[in-house]
Amino acid sequence: MTKSSLIQSYLQQAFLSFPDKTALVYGQERVSYGELYSRSEKISQWLLKNDLKVGDRVGLLTDQACEYIAAYFGILNAGGIVVGLNTQTSNHALRSVLEDSSISILLSHKKFLKHDSAVKEAASVRLFETNIPALWENETEAENHPCPQLNTEDICQIIYTSGTTGTPKGIMLRHRNLIANTQSVIEYLELTEHDSIMAVLPFFYSYGNSVMLTHIGVGAKLVVNQSFTYPNVILDQMVNEEVTGFSGVPSSFAILLHRSSVRERDFPKLRYLTQAGAPMSPTLAADLSTVFKGVKIYIMYGQTEASSRLSYLDPERLEDKAGSIGKAIPGVELTVCRPDGTPVKPGELGEIVATGENIMAGYWKNPEETKQVLKNNRLWTGDLARVDNDGFIFIESRKSDMIKSGSHRIGPKEIEETILQLPSTHEVAVVGQPDKILGENIVAFVVPKDGCDISQKEILRHCRRNLPAFKVPHRITLIDDLPKTVSGKIQKLELKNK
Amino acid sequence: MKDYIPKIRAFIFENFLFDAEEDSLKNESSFLEQGIIDSTGVLELVDWLEEEFDITVDDEELVPENLDSVILLSAYIDRKKQS
Repeated sequence: MTKSSLIQSYLQQAFLSFPDKTALVYGQERVSYGELYSRSEKISQWLLKNDLKVGDRVGLLTDQACEYIAAYFGILNAGGIVVGLNTQTSNHALRSVLEDSSISILLSHKKFLKHDSAVKEAASVRLFETNIPALWENETEAENHPCPQLNTEDICQIIYTSGTTGTPKGIMLRHRNLIANTQSVIEYLELTEHDSIMAVLPFFYSYGNSVMLTHIGVGAKLVVNQSFTYPNVILDQMVNEEVTGFSGVPSSFAILLHRSSVRERDFPKLRYLTQAGAPMSPTLAADLSTVFKGVKIYIMYGQTEASSRLSYLDPERLEDKAGSIGKAIPGVELTVCRPDGTPVKPGELGEIVATGENIMAGYWKNPEETKQVLKNNRLWTGDLARVDNDGFIFIESRKSDMIKSGSHRIGPKEIEETILQLPSTHEVAVVGQPDKILGENIVAFVVPKDGCDISQKEILRHCRRNLPAFKVPHRITLIDDLPKTVSGKIQKLELKNK
Repeated sequence: MKDYIPKIRAFIFENFLFDAEEDSLKNESSFLEQGIIDSTGVLELVDWLEEEFDITVDDEELVPENLDSVILLSAYIDRKKQS
């Protein structure tokens, strides 16, 4: 297929090249590229009829893959900015993102009517549509609103991630950022229309978004099942649909290896596995290559700020460069730098700094935070690493105390503030501790107020009532004092190893 | 067949539904479709089953047919205890 300049042209080109080919398999539904394109066009027309202007933010809150993908491309075609929203949300978190991004139209599913009050409280939302299929099923009036002229510099998507401060950060991506990253991933994974991917990651995160774009970008088939509750069901689909690829975070692979019948099965068509989202232990990677013999395993690294991908480890080097995140992907330059911006020598610790067409435009309405990470068009990732003599990068630690649990990145601040709402708590520190399946477990260290009695159960119950499920601590530890530096800063590293 | 339903319901409410009304969970409702249990929740459920009922949940038994509702769980525990 020819190169695209706007993200929505990926779907258009796939439709023109392969109108009858299956684009999506989701539950009992199979959708061709022709049908997917037609649905997105109708959504686009509906948005234009409802006065969507170029640059208006449109929220997508649905766990229905067919709806999400059709709406994603429909919004872009109409000139809107896609804001994919976390479906595991709370009223508070949803309202905060709706207000921050000033979403004007929210496309959703009726199951999210439970958040009706949060949507009503967000003043910017003027339309809350919970029946997306109705937008493409309505055949009564043929619309013909002209689509706006857009260019590659326009912002097309805002992806929210947890901020360490507790306030979510909106990462603004331009068409050219996502196009550059998508093309690069297509190139190194050698994707073609003959591929089909088992897509288990949510599309509202940047990794899932990249999986979606790279496969639609070549006209491949997406087999979507974003619930990993029953891994054997995923394996059945992988076999039945003869998928050629699987993309997961370390916990997806840990669950497959430790909680499924993967070892008793054959995947004759499987060609590639990709892993990103958190560091994968060399042991887990080695186990994977034993179970998936002959399948290329790509260890990858990236950030939402880089439209997702920054580096990958050549599958041929999985063994001799175990633990490395590899080298920069095509079109990206990665340098491990000292604080003054000069490159480190091999073996010296420094911060990973990235340049490339894929780097974000900045944080939405947050020039101060943008300035802290984007300096002279270079993205300072906050990840500390060393480079070996062959130029392979090895991450040592992160500057931020973000917790990576399953497919989620979780800022500890929101959890700490939630626990501190309990009158009997004096101090709280939330950290991630290593876990075989999830990568990291969320652990809360709680210091009760003098003379107050509080139980772990009580704290947990409070968290479950007030936080989305994935942010609820896996363990609560009651402690007399938190370890602190002489200046009074909590030593989270010590707690991580406790 | 022994009735494990009260114990299962107590566990689900204690760990996933908290203060929800008793009638908000039908014994035949799918945990997955209702969004009650996710991929980490199912691991918690398995740990509880193994500890509480002294059974071993084999990897190939991790399927919705065994675990995805109160009724299915109860029947599964019963089968495991009989075997």
